Amino acid sequence: MAAKAKPVPQVALGLEPGPFHDRLVEHNRQQSWVNWMGYASPSVLDTVEFEYFAIRNQSTLFDISPMCKYTITGPDAEAVVNRLVTRDIRKLKPGRVAYCIWCDEDGNVVDDGTVFRLSGTEFRLCCQEPQLSWLEDIAWGFDVAITDVTRDIAGLALQGPTSFALLKDLGLAGIETLKPFGIADFRIDGADVTISRTGFTGDLGYELWMNPADALKVWDALMDAGKLRGLRVIGYEALEMARIEAGFLLPKVDFLSSQTVLRADRANTPYELGLEWLVALDKPHFNGRRALLDLSKQTPRRKLVAIEIERDKPAHNALVYHKKTREVGQVTSALWSPTCKRNIAYAWLEAPFGQSVTDNLWVEIYLQKEIRWQRRMARCQLVQKPFFVHPRRTATPPADY
Amino acid sequence: MSGRYDAIIIGAGHNGLVAAALLARKGRKVLVLEARDHVGGMLGDADFRVAPLPYALRPEIIRQLGLPPQLMGTSRPVETISFNPDGAPVTVLGGRASGVDADMAPAYATLHARLGRQAKALGVMMLQSPPGLGKASFSEMAGLARMALKMRLLGKTEMRDLLRIILSNAWDLLNDEIGDGPLAGCLAMDATLGGAMGPRSPGTVLTLLYRMASQSSHGHGLRVMPEGGPDALVKALRECVTDAGGVIRTGAPVAKILVDQDKAAGVRLQSGEEIAAATVLSNASPKITLMNLLGVEHLDGEFVRRSRNMATIGMVSRLDFDIAQMPSLGSGGEIEHGQRLVFAPTMQAIETAFNAAKYGNLPERPVFEATYDATAKRFCVTAQFTPHDLKGGWTDDAKEKLASSVMAALEEALPGLTSAVTTRRVMSPVDIETGYGASGGHWHHGELRVDQLLMLRPFDGAAQYRMPVKGLYLCGAGAHPGGDISGAPGFNAARAALRNGGH
Repeated sequence: MAAKAKPVPQVALGLEPGPFHDRLVEHNRQQSWVNWMGYASPSVLDTVEFEYFAIRNQSTLFDISPMCKYTITGPDAEAVVNRLVTRDIRKLKPGRVAYCIWCDEDGNVVDDGTVFRLSGTEFRLCCQEPQLSWLEDIAWGFDVAITDVTRDIAGLALQGPTSFALLKDLGLAGIETLKPFGIADFRIDGADVTISRTGFTGDLGYELWMNPADALKVWDALMDAGKLRGLRVIGYEALEMARIEAGFLLPKVDFLSSQTVLRADRANTPYELGLEWLVALDKPHFNGRRALLDLSKQTPRRKLVAIEIERDKPAHNALVYHKKTREVGQVTSALWSPTCKRNIAYAWLEAPFGQSVTDNLWVEIYLQKEIRWQRRMARCQLVQKPFFVHPRRTATPPADY
Repeated sequence: MSGRYDAIIIGAGHNGLVAAALLARKGRKVLVLEARDHVGGMLGDADFRVAPLPYALRPEIIRQLGLPPQLMGTSRPVETISFNPDGAPVTVLGGRASGVDADMAPAYATLHARLGRQAKALGVMMLQSPPGLGKASFSEMAGLARMALKMRLLGKTEMRDLLRIILSNAWDLLNDEIGDGPLAGCLAMDATLGGAMGPRSPGTVLTLLYRMASQSSHGHGLRVMPEGGPDALVKALRECVTDAGGVIRTGAPVAKILVDQDKAAGVRLQSGEEIAAATVLSNASPKITLMNLLGVEHLDGEFVRRSRNMATIGMVSRLDFDIAQMPSLGSGGEIEHGQRLVFAPTMQAIETAFNAAKYGNLPERPVFEATYDATAKRFCVTAQFTPHDLKGGWTDDAKEKLASSVMAALEEALPGLTSAVTTRRVMSPVDIETGYGASGGHWHHGELRVDQLLMLRPFDGAAQYRMPVKGLYLCGAGAHPGGDISGAPGFNAARAALRNGGH
């Protein structure tokens, strides 16, 4: 008997269109897409400069649906989230968001993300890397349900000085009282939208969360209202500039998750990342607490620092030297900041550099000028993050730009 | 809180008693809490003992605790009878086998002596705290170095041979050296007893060496009944604790280990009574200690995952047959008091019995060892492989089926036994789990396999007796060096607690 081929359901290959894809395609003149967690995400739609300046001067839309999202619900939800993250989540009130990191048993950072407290017994976690198995390990033995809602919730970042005015134009009553890291529910064009005053730009801005079925409707309403507010759709590259100015770290660029490193010493502790302010050692046991307690008493092996470099050439991937001779670290993110008019970067420096030794540091910048390469040693100095600070980010009610 | 002690020991199994005795003799105020109404754990229930053959108590422990030397067994042990369906049984005592082919007896003697030397080299680690992975102390590394030196001192040929066989299986080794049959079956039974592995499973040479590492004045690897039986051993250990000022409370099940500021603070009994102590040693299995008594909220997620994943599926059932009159062996001769009968005619028979259990079924023909207690007129059978996770659960029918299959096999060796049996009792792995704080009903509180031994016992990150919560120690068979009635985990754990000064 001849074998008969059985029809096999086709697995989707390539990048998946997200909930806003139809609109993104219309705006993506560059047809420049990157892979973000399997979704087609725009890197630049028009020109990165226009998109960047829209973040700082108008308002912008960026599709954040590919973010990994999980809900943690049940009687032990607070205990589980408190066990997961290093901050004391008992202090987070319903309707509030907190930026958090979580660590493995050695005190190395697994990932960072935002924790939304939706009610006494309901949390939502937004992060870059898939965390389901990690969450299930942390929650084992507790009375909670953990659900991956990545594909159930569409997310849109509305960022920029005119973002508040735009939402007010849409008639969102009470949006003026929403404080930074606050959450509230609204309706836009008949669709339920949860809005949090959060973002990755360090500017005034909001993140809108909705049912994917309502995604295009909400998008259209925002674009409509944004006509007179300079609303612009942006891609990853412009956001990357804003996030460096804002002092935010990016996993896989500035640090690696301890779950993905092959070389054990590539993982990083909160103390090395300068995130010790997120570690509440005085709360009851949480993952990695004992290791972190020991680490808190030691000098970090290395430190991720913010530096400012002389002159104007960004120090992408540059090595850092002490007294121009001894190699002591390297740059992870670098940018000529158009708003701050400063040449800024994050760099890893091996101890004691960046800690007890902070002077006479140099970065080695390679410049290509019409095919010919030049090497330049530029002096740099340690500075405080964030590079970009503006009172409009936190003003409540925000100004009507 | 009622009372104040330096150390509380949860569980009065032999390891708990050894730990309590050592701590009490070092001047610590100790309290032993036992859930059952008698001490001795798996040894202690005179009516139906989980472990009727308490060989292997380490001589060093007997000396250090000043226990009566008769516990090592003063009279020479009786030969083990390995049932042979095709003729006269094979009898074995140490390196001497009779009833086998003339050329096999010397081959067996050579193998037994060689395994004994190799086991002795490994045995150096038995009373050592295994080194921590990554951050071992000098004394821990010194223990490992001593073992390496002992192995090297075996000579080049023998060390090479040890390294060749150590991770392999008993099946290959025994087939190479003595061929399959009742003698190989008897040794393979030693290699697999209590574990979820057949003779063909990798690592069964290692478990055989573990058995071979037991020491007595009559030689290594023997099952030596203490003078006076298990009761004498339990009584001696109990008196050792109380003579040194230790307090033992029976019928006092512990509900929770109390933790304050990340340190052990004592225990709460099921009655609600709380007793304070800065040091708590648990003789319960690691899973029960960590998940039930301590609570996962005190542990990191990865630690809990490793603890959950520890292999602890018990495979042993215990059956007792009270008999009016012990029949003679079918092949002629009588069974003596304390004599051990092994019913594993070939390694293949053990492997076949294991095959059924792998898939959650009872074997048609279980393999087992049995001892005859002439005083109680009782035949005590230790049968495998009877999985804890038996399909359909451990119902009365399942127990009846097991008892019948054991009886049928025994009838072949001892014709007329069936009619001589007055009563029979069956204890499944589930009964062992609920009765003795051993998760999975596992004899050794966890498989003795290469990924759960030494610095990986009970699991990575928990191998130095002390648990992440300061002042809490594991002192049962789940800790290094593992199961059997050796007393070594309790002894090592007490020394670890003394070293750390009880925090």
